Amino acid sequence: MKRWFEPRRLGELAPLPRALVHGALLAWTFVVFFPLYWVLVTSFKEPLQVADGPVFLPFVDFQPSLHAWKYILVETGRDTLRPYLNSMLIASLSTLLAVAIGSMAAYALTRIVYRPSVAAVLLFIASVAAVVALVLGAGLSLGWALPLGAMLFVLGLRPLQRRITARLGNDDILFWMISQRILPPVVSAIPVYVMFQQVHLLDTQFALIVTYMTANLPIVVWLMVDFFDGIPRELEESAALDGASRFRILFDLMLPLARPGLVATTLLVLILSWNEYLLALFLSTANAQTMPLLVAAQNATRGPQWWTMSVLILLMIVPVVVMTLFLQKFIARGLLTGAVKG
Amino acid sequence: MTTPHSVTFDHLGKRFGAVEVLRDFNLQVAPGEFLVLLGESGSGKSTALRVFAGLETASAGRILIGERDVTNVLPKNRDIAMVFQSYALYPHKTVAENVAYPLDVRGVPKPRQHEQVLAVAKQVQLDGLLDRYPRQLSGGQRQRVALARAMVRRPSVFLMDEPLSNLDAKLRGHMRAELKHLQQQLDITTLYVTHDQVEAMTLAHRVALLDKGVLQQLDTPARIYNDPANLFVAGFIGSPPMNFLRGALSGGWLEGTGFRVPTPVTASAADAVLGIRPEDCRIAGPGEPQGGAVQGEIYAVELIGDHTLVTLHIGEHKLTVKGAKDFDQAIGRRVGVAFDPGAAFVFDGATGARMR
Amino acid sequence: MRRPGDDPVSPATVASRIDIRATTPTRSPDANPGSRAADWLDRQAGTIFIAPAVTVVLLFSIFPLLASAWLSLTRFSLQAGGYELSFVGALNYRKLIAGSQQFHLLGTAGEMAAGTWVALVAAHALLAWALLRSLRRRQAYAQAAPRAPQAATAVLTLACGLVAALLSPLGPFAAAAQSARDALDLPWFAWLLIAFAVLVVAAVAARALGAPARISGLVGRQLAGSVWLLVALVAAGTAGGQQGSLLTTLFYVVGGVALQFALGLGLALLCAQPIRGRNLFRLSFFLPLMVTPVGIAYMFRMLADMGVGPFAPVARLLGLGAVTWAQNAWSARWVVLAGDTWQWVPFIFIVLLAAIEGQPRDQLEAAQLDGAPSWRIFRDITWPAIAPTAAAVVLIRLIEAFKIVDLPNVLTNGGPGIATESMTLHAFIDWRSLNLGGSAAVAYLLLLVSTLMAVSFFHFVVRPARGEPAA
Repeated sequence: MKRWFEPRRLGELAPLPRALVHGALLAWTFVVFFPLYWVLVTSFKEPLQVADGPVFLPFVDFQPSLHAWKYILVETGRDTLRPYLNSMLIASLSTLLAVAIGSMAAYALTRIVYRPSVAAVLLFIASVAAVVALVLGAGLSLGWALPLGAMLFVLGLRPLQRRITARLGNDDILFWMISQRILPPVVSAIPVYVMFQQVHLLDTQFALIVTYMTANLPIVVWLMVDFFDGIPRELEESAALDGASRFRILFDLMLPLARPGLVATTLLVLILSWNEYLLALFLSTANAQTMPLLVAAQNATRGPQWWTMSVLILLMIVPVVVMTLFLQKFIARGLLTGAVKG
Repeated sequence: MTTPHSVTFDHLGKRFGAVEVLRDFNLQVAPGEFLVLLGESGSGKSTALRVFAGLETASAGRILIGERDVTNVLPKNRDIAMVFQSYALYPHKTVAENVAYPLDVRGVPKPRQHEQVLAVAKQVQLDGLLDRYPRQLSGGQRQRVALARAMVRRPSVFLMDEPLSNLDAKLRGHMRAELKHLQQQLDITTLYVTHDQVEAMTLAHRVALLDKGVLQQLDTPARIYNDPANLFVAGFIGSPPMNFLRGALSGGWLEGTGFRVPTPVTASAADAVLGIRPEDCRIAGPGEPQGGAVQGEIYAVELIGDHTLVTLHIGEHKLTVKGAKDFDQAIGRRVGVAFDPGAAFVFDGATGARMR
Repeated sequence: MRRPGDDPVSPATVASRIDIRATTPTRSPDANPGSRAADWLDRQAGTIFIAPAVTVVLLFSIFPLLASAWLSLTRFSLQAGGYELSFVGALNYRKLIAGSQQFHLLGTAGEMAAGTWVALVAAHALLAWALLRSLRRRQAYAQAAPRAPQAATAVLTLACGLVAALLSPLGPFAAAAQSARDALDLPWFAWLLIAFAVLVVAAVAARALGAPARISGLVGRQLAGSVWLLVALVAAGTAGGQQGSLLTTLFYVVGGVALQFALGLGLALLCAQPIRGRNLFRLSFFLPLMVTPVGIAYMFRMLADMGVGPFAPVARLLGLGAVTWAQNAWSARWVVLAGDTWQWVPFIFIVLLAAIEGQPRDQLEAAQLDGAPSWRIFRDITWPAIAPTAAAVVLIRLIEAFKIVDLPNVLTNGGPGIATESMTLHAFIDWRSLNLGGSAAVAYLLLLVSTLMAVSFFHFVVRPARGEPAA
């Protein structure tokens, strides 16, 4: 009896616990794979086969057909291609920009001392609030409101700085940037919508690229700050003594050193941009339609077209899986050394 | 106090994948003995200790504590305690809780735990620090907590894995004396792993010197120093290390490029090595005939304080001699070196074995 | 994590900051003007590096944030030539909290059953226990039992209860509080000030009774406690009736993250065991993170379809064919929770697995040598070692969970009625019906709730887990 419960040696499991562990893990594997399997199988079904009731095994329960695949890839191919290309373009460009800008800022926050004055920050917020009040409340056009707000800032800065001498530090800037992530997108969605509408940039890829970049910037800064913190300063000091400028240090030295972190961050942001739904819902309709919108659009008035939806879901998963398999050894290592140490 | 147990390694072997870290390791430790496993990194000393602790499983052979075969027994049932190199203190527990942990785990009632912890703390002078957390302690204090935790259970065997290597030199010397005194007081069989020969020489009843998983010599410190079994042992023990001259041996003389020295061994060998310790060599004085066993050119002179280390070039070899503290001859000068052949050792050039 | 600008400045710290001025020549008479420009550029590097990020965040976050705040104070109406925004003050908020939209945000009142009373009392007891724990200090070894600040805790708990009862628009004390408020005819913000004053007085009293914390720390604890009791009162008040989007969101967030953490931790512990095929499991568990959330929503809708979905035979067997989960408020919420859990468990799993595998080996070995059984090793070594990581990952997950919108939108369209509406969905639906002011107000309330929870969690869970004492 004891044989079942006591491990034979250290670093091993007794037979009974080992069986239980395997069982539990297999159970969860089923939970993970079954929905995906169902999607896969449904993509090979005809509408009638779906409506008749559930069938599980291809070639056994039903005859698989390429009806849905043909529909998506051939018949409505162009309607599928456009969102696919849009998604690729928007995701890659917004990720590139977010990682570039964010890494620069993260590097700066770990190496350079900033001391913005509290007075300047408060006055800036007050000026923006004044502009908002003028435009939305008093109905002034942006052309009038902006200069007025700028004037308020410039005129008020010196006096206020003399009164309030407190200064903020790097940690405050970092906290401010990262706390943007707490902001639910829906809070800023409407004004952003109005903003883009005013400059006639609604339903363009540009609007989405810029918005996605903004939404993901806090994550990049958060992760990259932890990475740069982990790189010893001596390397940069020796490069600085050799005469390298800050730009050279960043591009030649720091970025290659932080490569695992960069890769993990890029992958994470890429996945987030690729899957983003709410912002696309607000800001695009036809021209800049992305894949998640296309998936949702399969919910037609006749009822959800499960078969075509399944095809689209699979089409969306494939690039992510490919990319992840490619870079998988960086994911856990990179995400974790960075993300959760601080 | 329980009677101490003996420890036996019986043809122990350990391999990690294709790498054989320990090979046919045999060792008998007497009850109450302080045995030091000495060697470089990769020599297998830590592995031997860990296999003994049960943290690794043996690939071959047996381990016995007293008469009991513990090869397949879980570590917690072997009645051993270990002091880790990094101390392995639990950071969120106080010193008292750390020391009490082995007792707590075994269900000892709290009042008795308290009693035993206080007793042990007094022995290692920790009684003022029982409420501190490890992060508030210095390195030496942490080391004592680790020691106390190992002692509190009165195990059959103590294991220590380079416990002094994280301390600074001065503290290390102090703790060496403390450890020696404690072990003698507690009379518990102790296995101690280190790469520092000074620790080995000062602490051990016997030293087991390992190289690449093979036991080179098992002897008291004095005999290891004065009677090395092979070339490796001779070169490892002693600071500054022994001088070696390589050449052909015949008729009581070793001949090589640039020298011809007398040896205590009459055998012949085409490839042999003569070893002589720096303190057994003497620079031939200015008045002495410049003949001398060997002639060499002064390469470096280092004043140590109470003596001078003179390094000479002899042919392709370098020889270090302990000279008087007022040695003042210039670099580049040719001088003679004399030594008593009886103090020299001869080793076989191919196998490294000692030739007598 | 030492950063530039950290105090205290020791010689070592100063030496470790790069002083670019010391290494960049200020004037090179022999150099060409190009290099002088390069030098100037280098000195401006600090600004240049951070400017783009700051500008982007300012433009697309601060500006919309303030604009949205303004919008929440207005009423939007379509006019003949376009639209009109009229300033209405706090009307949108008042409607949501105590007016015509209260049913949407908070819910509708119902009968309070015995079980609800028990739960309410338990909520108060939990608060008292949490306050007590946060005020206790570890005492010296084997001294007499510590003198716990019980009196102080009682005062603080009472104050929180009083404030919550005074301000809660729903719940057993709402009617009494309303008549009390009507008796003294004060504007709404006056009541907030009174409540704050009560908390400060209680903090001072608690300190006088020996609570070992700063006044600001005590007020902070009380604020969190009052909000907790407010939510408890609203939940109790609507328990017999219908719950609004606030409570639904809190269900998704707290229930969802708790479930995801439990599953993630369990899977991570299992996967850290020495069994065959660990890496295979690890890889396959990562899969759900790669599917787009909208896709997951539709996938679960497919699965949950009891008519033609894969579980239809099971439902028929159990005789549940006629009843659909989508028609019952709570079963619908649980289905949404299931989808969210399926999606996010991998995230927590991956992070915790790495933390578990990164725990110090020598402590593990020491404990094994000492004879500790596995559950004790988990409690004494693994859990403290992964606590900072676990707290951080739960915080990340909490912040993200507040934004849930895809699943309830697609799975149930917010239904039945408004039962599965999260606050984001609530705002979206208001936006669609052109109630811009109300939509912005809901969004801001969501921001308030999520910030409160994030900050509280950070202060009272993450910081202690990292070993930093709470204020």
